[in-house]
Parts: sequence; structure tokens; C-alpha cells
Amino acid sequence: MSKIKDRLIDMGEFMPMPGDDMVICRCEEVTKGEIRKAVHDGMFTMTEIRRYLRTGMGLCQGQTCGGLVKRIVAGELGISPLELEPAASRAPMRPVEMKVLGNEIKEAQ
Amino acid sequence: MIRYDLIIIGAGPSGLSAAIEAAKRGLKVIVFDENAKPGGQLFKQIHKFFGSKEHKAKIRGFKIGEDLLKEASDCSVNVMLDAVVTGLYLDKEVTVKTGAGIRHYKADAIIVATGASENMVTFEGWTLPGVIGAGAAQTMMNLYHIKPGNKILMLGSGNVGLVVSFQLMQAGCELTALVDAAPKVGGYGVHASKIARCGVPFYLSHTIIKAEGEQYVNGVTIGEVDSSWKVIPGTEKHFDVDTICLAVGLSPMSQLLKMAGCKMRDTPGGFVPKCDKNGATSIPGIFAAGDVSGIEEASSAMIEGRISGVATAEYLGFISKDEAEASIKKLEKALFSLRQGMFAPENRGKAIEKTEEGINVSASLLKNGFVEASEIERFPGFTKQKGLHPVIECTQNIPCNPCQEACPKNYIKIGEKITSLPTLNEAGECSGCGMCVASCSGQAIFLVDEDYGPGYASVTIPYEFHPLPAAGEDGRALDRSGKEICTAKVIDVKSKKAFDHTHLLTMRVPAEMAVKARFFCRQEGENE
Amino acid sequence: MGNCADVVIIGGGVIGNAAAYYLAKKGCSVIVLEKSDTIGDGGSSRNGGGVRQSGRDKRELPLAMYGVKNLWPMLSEELEMDVEYYQEGNLRLGKTDSHIKILQRLTDKATASGLGVRMIKGLEAREICPYLSDEVIGASWCPTDGHANPLLVTLAYYRKARRLGVRFITGEEVVGIRKIKGKARQVVTHEDIYEGGTVILAAGYDSRRIASTVGIDVPMTQAELEVLVTETQPPMFYQMLGTAEADFYGHQSAHGSFVFGGSSGYEDVNKDNGTPVTASITAPCICRGIMKYFPCLEEAKIVRTWAGWIDVCVDHIPVISQAEEVSGFILACGFSGHGFGISPTVGMLLSQMAVGESTVLDISKFRYDRFKAKI
Repeated sequence: MSKIKDRLIDMGEFMPMPGDDMVICRCEEVTKGEIRKAVHDGMFTMTEIRRYLRTGMGLCQGQTCGGLVKRIVAGELGISPLELEPAASRAPMRPVEMKVLGNEIKEAQ
Repeated sequence: MIRYDLIIIGAGPSGLSAAIEAAKRGLKVIVFDENAKPGGQLFKQIHKFFGSKEHKAKIRGFKIGEDLLKEASDCSVNVMLDAVVTGLYLDKEVTVKTGAGIRHYKADAIIVATGASENMVTFEGWTLPGVIGAGAAQTMMNLYHIKPGNKILMLGSGNVGLVVSFQLMQAGCELTALVDAAPKVGGYGVHASKIARCGVPFYLSHTIIKAEGEQYVNGVTIGEVDSSWKVIPGTEKHFDVDTICLAVGLSPMSQLLKMAGCKMRDTPGGFVPKCDKNGATSIPGIFAAGDVSGIEEASSAMIEGRISGVATAEYLGFISKDEAEASIKKLEKALFSLRQGMFAPENRGKAIEKTEEGINVSASLLKNGFVEASEIERFPGFTKQKGLHPVIECTQNIPCNPCQEACPKNYIKIGEKITSLPTLNEAGECSGCGMCVASCSGQAIFLVDEDYGPGYASVTIPYEFHPLPAAGEDGRALDRSGKEICTAKVIDVKSKKAFDHTHLLTMRVPAEMAVKARFFCRQEGENE
Repeated sequence: MGNCADVVIIGGGVIGNAAAYYLAKKGCSVIVLEKSDTIGDGGSSRNGGGVRQSGRDKRELPLAMYGVKNLWPMLSEELEMDVEYYQEGNLRLGKTDSHIKILQRLTDKATASGLGVRMIKGLEAREICPYLSDEVIGASWCPTDGHANPLLVTLAYYRKARRLGVRFITGEEVVGIRKIKGKARQVVTHEDIYEGGTVILAAGYDSRRIASTVGIDVPMTQAELEVLVTETQPPMFYQMLGTAEADFYGHQSAHGSFVFGGSSGYEDVNKDNGTPVTASITAPCICRGIMKYFPCLEEAKIVRTWAGWIDVCVDHIPVISQAEEVSGFILACGFSGHGFGISPTVGMLLSQMAVGESTVLDISKFRYDRFKAKI
């Protein structure tokens, strides 16, 4: 269970910082500033950040940005990145065309 | 729905090793791999591995891969390629995308051996074309024979950064600089030395400030960092590069395990399943082996794979508990011997000041990538004597002994404890065969004859670049730091089958340079 | 605020968050308790995002129509966040005569209740949406239906409510409700006790267990549905889609990806492992359903599938009700897979109920004590 439970914790005002325009999630082009601001908007878990900003929803499903986003969110919350549960892992592990996914091939035994 | 005894996801070193052990014990095994070729990372590894004979020391990674494949095929292991496991569902069912559709498979046990993927690090301009992972660069070069770029800056001084830097140079790229924010080189000293003596400058305690360019990388600025990782003003350095390689660590690709509902734990090394020592996860019948259960390297991945293969055989009743324990004990011993020495997992992050023998480690090696002339004399492998003799510049305790095994005259001694630094047997004698030079995976052994002729010495170095210089060619000798120190003439270039593509280049240098000359640079200045 | 508030809401999903927001607007102090670490981790973030009036039980229709008319069009502005609400209509498609019969029946029921929906032929359907399969012979067409982004709606209500001072506690599971001197006052979690003048229970399927601690039963079962999402496609069409046989439902999102929900037919008996997990046969089934109607999407790559539980009330409409026999206790659960579209309306109604205002709509059909034996 996450340690931060009370969502009214005071983490101070959101202060823009140099480097906020750096793209972190390349697939969805989400910047560092957007991630930091989202935490101040009340998004404290990786899943909330993901649903709010679309980080990790692109083709690579967070493989590239996952660790980077975690560090930024943890930094904003003042906790260790290890305290942030990653978002759920789901099928398909690689993008699959609809016609392929819909084509269930039966094996001959 | 086809039901197997064992489904293995990933035909890399750990997956194939697991398949072999399970198939040998009678299990019906299938291995799925998303790539067109099996072997995982092994086929990209063109360098010689460390360890001892049982760990396949001095064998090149891709050859180990070929051997593993053959062993698997001899055991009738079924390997399906271009087969993406898209999901790991309840009741140990997997869906596999093959060709134009998906297939369902079930198994009584599943081993997830999906390996790891590269980490990224951000800096201004990190999304420009030209910023790539070191692993990606290695794939391009070693699998697809494409040069990743021309002028490269490598970020990261762990083994991946060091090894890939050398391979980039072998592919004809210029390694403009090797940078790491850490104050010390993270990987093996010998890997660093290989590139330092070619003239690659090391910038420890430096970070990338900015990758420059509009459409793609055309330059980079780095700067020194203080103890709180802040850039020290005035320390900026600029390089013209077209490629920035990132070797900043790997993270396990454990998504299938998480999807299946295995209990996971978040570690600084990535998100891994909670496993016991045999790789059994919290879900009975689901195992994890290799990098996916914790980043190490291919040698340990193979042993972990074998352990899981044996464990699943016992889990499914193909062998008794006693048989399993006996086999696993042997494998654990091999794994244990790999996890010793300066780079053992338990020593990670520790500052090691002395070797096991009580010798002060080379500070220069850790800071600059090469051992200083004044430091080398401390180490037992470095001797000055009459006649031809090996000079072994191995200064860190790493489990590794191919040099001892290679010498037909028993002149090189390491002993039972394979992390020991090599020494020369007093009773022995060097025949000058050069097998030690070729067999040292760290390319840290040289043959020196200080009385080659009046005022001259000969130094034989391992050489793995093309084109090969020819006997009679004139050039310059570089010292361990890559500095040109004198003229040199190539006396001989030996290329024997037993050397396995490590050529032995013997150069003639002024006698006083025998203790320093460690690389040969051709007249034109470029090693293409 | 401490652990006391005017209203304690159990459940941090879209219903609970919407209620919290409207209550905060009215000046009430509110505590919301969510068992998961993540706000809105139940059906609220897993559904297909439909905001429709058509195809609803006629008892629910007034709630849906009220929302589409008075709340959805201005929701993004109200919550100061773009919730991607589209009102481009709803096409429910048919390929066979029996499909058309089903659709006609649904349409007639809806028009009888005053909804603007009509049957159209294949030609007109293709004029509205040129990407339909040629095999579509007709559809029901409701121009005022639409869709929105359920993840953003849930978080937008949360975000603004939090800004207005609502105290959200995550990672605490409610064990039960405790009456003090005849009134529902205390909400007990594994770690703490919270007190409110009014308790609103909006915890999805868990509501049944929690309501039982004060002697109220909500006859519900669960069904596990799945959704899949494609990578971004070029903008094609923004109508909400469905079929006569409910093969799938979905839409193209603001992002460009297509979101489609559906089932394998086994939703009533699917199992999970503690969290909703997908079954291997469901997504392929949904894909086949989609391709029958949208062959143009066959090359679209699916990037993710997920599952979610819906709380199915026995008569397929929710319980939205004071439970007067437990003074101070309000129920809002059993949304049976169609809660999202009416969530702003329900949130608003709950806020009125909690402060004693008369509700702007008649909710007598949603009473908690409506369940009578068959004879």
C-alpha cells in the first residue's frame, strides 16, 4: 500500500522550473512540467498520472518513460521512486493488428 | 489447445539453457521468441566471455549462442521464432502471435526468460535522432552490420558502455569520448583499458548538458558535476558528434509476470518478481530466470536458466527431489563462483581499496580508464625479466582464468580461487606461443622481450581491428593512456585459428618503451 | 477537518467524486474514502465512455436526458478540464432483418419516452459514417448521444473537488458502517473511523457487503467485461457505436485511438485473481465483432486490453436512494454497466439528497426497497 493516503497533503505551490519543457514520454509527447503539475493537481500514483496525461499509453506502453516518470513524480511527492507502484501490465505485450488478434488459429493436436 | 509440460518465453541464454535441462529430463518443452533469430543478447556479443571453462570463458558470445542452440536442438527442444507471447493468462495459458494470427497454448509450468530493456536518461535534446541506446547500437552493428554513426559519445562506463565502445571502434566509428556522472569507472578495468590505450578520453564525474542539433545530433556539451550532481560552471566541454550512445543500465522486461499476477518487488535495479533461489515465483508453476529476475549478465543467466529447468522438472515430477537438489547444488556452485570478486553483487557500490592480495587498486584505472605506469609495477603479473615473457596487466579480482588454462607450459598461475590475480610460476618458462595473449578476454596480456635487439624491445599486443597492419609497417606506439610515445615497426602479425580472431601484433619499440608501449597506431593515424 | 465531515462518501469513483464535487460546491465538508491506492480504479476508469440516452431502460432515460441537456455540454468548462465530451450521435447497427427488428423495438420504446431517436436505412447510416461495412442494412440513430473520456471525467471531478477542500483518503478499505443512536454516522476502515452527518455509499459491487453492515441488501451480481484500445488512427468519425446484438460498443477518442468494449459471452462467470484480468478469448472475439462492421479497422493495431467488473443489479437499473430505515444513509450503486453516462446527473442528485433538497428529477424508481418477490 502506498504511504501517501491523505490527498490533501501540502506539497506547496507548483513552481515552474527550467527543464519543464523537456519531453519525457516520447510516444505521447508529455513534458516534465506537465507531469510535475499533475502531481500538484492531485495525481499521486503512476496509474493516475497515466490516465490523466497519457504517459505510458503509447506504442511502447511505458517501457521507455516508466522509470523517468516515476522519478519525477517521486521527486514532486518527496518519496522514493520505489514507493510508486508501476501501472498495470496488460496484453498484448506488443501491438497486434485487429485482424491478427481476431484470427485464432487452431492447432492440430 | 495444445498443452506442454513446459513453456519457456524467450530463447535467449537463460531460456535456451532452461529448455535444455528440462528436455534432457524428459519434459515436452516449447520455447517462444519474438525475434527472427534465437539466442537473445548472445549473438550481439562478439567479445570473449570471462569466467572459467565451465562458464565458457574465452569463447565469444555468439559462439556460445551457437553451441547453446545446437545443444537445444540435440535435445529436440522446439523453438518457435517470430512468435510474440502477447499475454500470460490465468491457468498458465499463453497467447502467441505467429504470422497472421494468434495461438493459444497451455503448460503445467512456465519459465519467463524475457530479459531486459535499456534505460533512458534525459538531458536537453535527448529526443533528437542520433541519441540511441548502446544495446541498440550493438544490434545495428553486430546483427545488421550497420554503422550506428561516425563520431560517437558514449554515456556510461559500466560493462555495456565499455564493451560497446570497443565494438563501435571495431566497426570503424570514432569514439570521441566516454562519459559517466559517477566518479569511478563502473565496469571491468580491462574493458576500460582496451579503449583508453586507443586514445579514447574518459570523463568521469561528467554529465551531458545538452545534445545539439536541429534535425539530428551534430554536437554535445558535457560538464563536470559536483557531489550533488550539479554542473560546475566553467567546466563545459563541447564535442562534434553525430551519435550519443546511452549505456545507463537495463530494466527487466517483467510485464508478463506482472500481468499473470506474480508478486513483484520494486528494486533500484528494476521491477522483478519475488522468486526463490530456483526462480519459482509466487504463482505455483511460474518461474523466472535470467535478467528478467534481476540484471546480471549472460553467464549467470545461463546458469539461472539451467537451475529453473531442473526445478521445473522436479516440480512436474520428472525427477526426484534428491536428483534435483544434486543438480542444482552443482549449478549453484558455478553461479556462486561467478558472483565473486570486486564486481560481485554484494560489493556493488562499495569502494574497494585493495585487492584480495592486499595490493592497492589502481586509482587511475577507476578515474581515467588506464593504469598509470607508476601503479602497474605493484601487480604480480607485471615483471621485468630477461627474454620473452608475458606481462599480465590484470589488476582487479574478477572470476576469470583462461590465461592459466591457455598456457601449455603452466607458466601462468591463478589457482583454485579464480578471482586471484594471475602470477607467473617461478619454475616455469615462456615459449612465446602467444596463447595467453589471445585467450585473455580482457586483452590484458602482452608478450615482452626487452632484449629484442640492441636498444630495442618487442611488445606483442592483442589486436582486433581491421585492416590488419602488415609486417614491416611503420607506425607509432601508444601507451596505456593512448598517448603516442614513440615510433614502432611491425615485426609480425600472427593470426592462428587457435587465437580465435585475436591477432597478435608484435612491434619493435625503443627498449625503454617496453614497459609502456601497449597499442600500435598506423602512420595515417586512423584505425579503420 | 479531522475525521469528521458533513458527508462521508464511500467510493472514489466517478459517482462518489461527482457527488463530492457538487456537495463541496454547496459548501459542505466532505471526506471520500477509496480502498485502492488509485482514485477511480473500479468501473469508472475501465468503461467504454459512452454518454448515451438511447438503449436505456425507460426509468433511467430521464437521468440520461437531463445530463445530456444540462450537464455534459458544459462539464469541461465547469470542471476546468477538457473531458473530451463529444456529442456526435449514436449509431446502433444492424446487418440482418432480425437485427432491425431488435433495433426498431428499442427505438419505439425510447421515442415513447420522448427521446429523439429514429431508425435509418443503410444509405443514410453510411452518409453519417462512411466507414461502415457495406453489409450494414440499417441502424438506430440518436443524434444527441455521444461519448467522453471516463478517465478524465473521474479525475476531473476529483481534482476540482480536492481543490474545493474535499478530503480524499486512498488505500483504506471500508469495513462497515456503524449506527450511532439510530443514525448512520460512523464509517469504519481497517485503520480508522470517520464520522459524517450523512453517509453515501457509492462503492460499486463492494456496496453490497458494506450495506449489509447496516442491514440493507442490494441484490447484485458481477460481470467482467473487457475493453481494447488501438493506436492513434487518422480522424475518421466520432459517433458512438454499437450493434443490435451488442457485439461491441465504442468510439474514436479525441486522441485518435479507437476504444471498444465487449465480452466473450462468459462475462457472468469470468474469474479474476484479485484484480480484474483479461481472458484470452475475449479480445479476439471483440475484434471479430468489430471487423464485421468496420472492415476498415482490420489493420489497426491493438495496443492494450483491460478488464473491469460491472455491478449488475438484479433489474439492471441502479439503486439511487435514501435508505430511510437507516437514517442518514444514501445508496448509489448497481449501475449495471451504464453508470458513466448518467454520472454527472447522479452526482448532482446525491448532493441534493444529502443536503435535504428535493431532487430535480424523480428518483422513486431507484428506491432501495423496490425488490419484491415474484408472487
